[in-house]
Amino acid sequence: MSDTTLHGTEAAEAADRATSADDPTLAALRAGLEGESELFVEGADWESVADAVRDETLIVNMGPQHPSTHGVLRLVLELDGETVTNLTPIIGYLHTGIEKSAEYRNWVQGTTFFTRMDYLSPLFNELAYCLGVERLLGVEAPPRAQAVRVILTEFNRIASHLVWLATGGMELGSTTVMTYGFREREHILDLFESQSGLRMNHAYIRPGGLANEVTDDFVARAEALLRRLPEKIGEFEDLLTENPIWNDRLRGVGVIDVERALALGVTGPLLRAAGLGHDLRRTDPYCGIEQYDFDVPTDTAGDSYARYTVRIEEMRQSMRIIRQALDTLPSGPVMVADRRIAMPSQQQLGADGMGNDPAYIRHIMGESMEALINHFKLSTEGFTVPAGQVYSAVESPRGELGYAITSIGSNKPWRVHVREPSFVNLQAAREMTRGHQVADVIAVVASIDPVMGGVDR
Amino acid sequence: MSTPTATGTRLANDALAARLTARFSGLASDEAYGELTVHADAATLVDLLTFCRDDDAVGCELLADLSGVHWPRGGHDIELQPTTTGWPTFRLSQEEGRVEVLYVLRSIRHGHVLRIAVAVDDEDPRLPTATGVYETANFHEREVYDFLGVEFDGHPDLTRILMPDDWVGHPHRKDYPLGGVDVPYKHDKHVPPPDERAIREVIR
Repeated sequence: MSDTTLHGTEAAEAADRATSADDPTLAALRAGLEGESELFVEGADWESVADAVRDETLIVNMGPQHPSTHGVLRLVLELDGETVTNLTPIIGYLHTGIEKSAEYRNWVQGTTFFTRMDYLSPLFNELAYCLGVERLLGVEAPPRAQAVRVILTEFNRIASHLVWLATGGMELGSTTVMTYGFREREHILDLFESQSGLRMNHAYIRPGGLANEVTDDFVARAEALLRRLPEKIGEFEDLLTENPIWNDRLRGVGVIDVERALALGVTGPLLRAAGLGHDLRRTDPYCGIEQYDFDVPTDTAGDSYARYTVRIEEMRQSMRIIRQALDTLPSGPVMVADRRIAMPSQQQLGADGMGNDPAYIRHIMGESMEALINHFKLSTEGFTVPAGQVYSAVESPRGELGYAITSIGSNKPWRVHVREPSFVNLQAAREMTRGHQVADVIAVVASIDPVMGGVDR
Repeated sequence: MSTPTATGTRLANDALAARLTARFSGLASDEAYGELTVHADAATLVDLLTFCRDDDAVGCELLADLSGVHWPRGGHDIELQPTTTGWPTFRLSQEEGRVEVLYVLRSIRHGHVLRIAVAVDDEDPRLPTATGVYETANFHEREVYDFLGVEFDGHPDLTRILMPDDWVGHPHRKDYPLGGVDVPYKHDKHVPPPDERAIREVIR
């Protein structure tokens, strides 16, 4: 066995000489390829590489900086000509140790970490975590907080699907879809900003309720969005549904059936596009979402195009839920009454431009020493959570987002493990791309919609 | 495995536990916060997972989550609070360190969820792989191996998944040194990591 290794300039020189049949370098190269040998090429012309490799298996790195790999995903493709025979996702480039860091912060500070995992659906991360902590604490957020959580998370689902459409469209060459998608998402982020102060990574949902009461114009803002979005989503459909390029690139690409999807742990729109209408909002409803009327869209094709139609319909269903939640929005507090858990959540904008709760400040500073002590303890060491383990899951835009939380009764989590749908769904990429062309890998990965912040955590 | 539908019957936690103990005698289980935890050992794990997948009444098609928790040797200051119930004793005082691996199984057609907990010795944690039963366990087991050092026998490709390949140690273990990575400074100045530094030690 002879090892033949070519590097950058050498390969280019070999390519230059490739025309002469009696070239010794190329002859040696070809002779080497007859046996078992590895050829390592960097930065050469594709034609020269293809010429040298002929019909051997070619291994190509796609990413981690490839613009169409959704961040820092690296895909190792084994190619037979232009056909993908195997795909191996290499992940971990965006690993930030959030789960470990959270073990050294108190329970409320956890929301600040977990909201940064899947950065396209931050509110779902906060919600799943807070529902778990609330189950351990044995408290339930007040009805108003629950309804606001539903409204905001469903808006977040629309925003996330819009980004999926925008980036997916861009990766398939449709830059118009990209600008349209991000444009509509901006309006949803404006709503989030008006409520939480941040466009992403809100840390707005807290154990026990919400960080703050919604603003007076919250309903008006949400309704303005509901008036705007249906028409815009119709625009996407006008652009894409009948578009021959969109159809050719997506139909029959990345097919997975229900049985294989379940074996690979695939959930969310991918599973629903394969034909199984599994939705945690139906089977394990949270935040009173069972009182709203909505459909779980499914398709039977199981290909990338079915995922597109399912996601478009999901956006419509989310708007239906928001419409009903706005109509029945209860009044009342947005944080549990138990002062051992609740931070003040009725803040108002003061003359100094800072948010404060005047009644609460009057109480702790002027009326009750115990309340001041409690506030001090709550702000510094935080509250303790009874020992135990819970697994709380919500239906995120990408599938089942689960938080496995372990507490030993202290003011910090002992362990928080996150079941990230992007992480799990990515496993199916190998099966969905096998036998397809290299260009289809882009379409398949786009249709899985992995968010690397969630995959690598 | 038939294609599941949403027409099954949701089993209550005690019925689910009864169904499993009827097949596997001596299986301990506890219920806390409305969630059922079944305590298996490494020898019966694969049989139990296969049973949970194939049995009609249990019917868990989906391995929803697989994670690990490290409980090092020694006493833990678990503050017992009134709501703490059904808490297994090895978690309270520990003769030996344990890594507890948790399998969350979800039945889509029936709608129930159960957790299987397997505790292994943390000196040489070793479990049979679940990839033969649920293929999705592949990435999960690599993650548990990466962060807690549990070796899954029979796993097709047990390598690190999120940490770099040449990383030493398993970061989610409680005995993993915090800040134990030397930070290179200019002019070869040596600053020990925080956990090796004396309190209030000033390094200039």
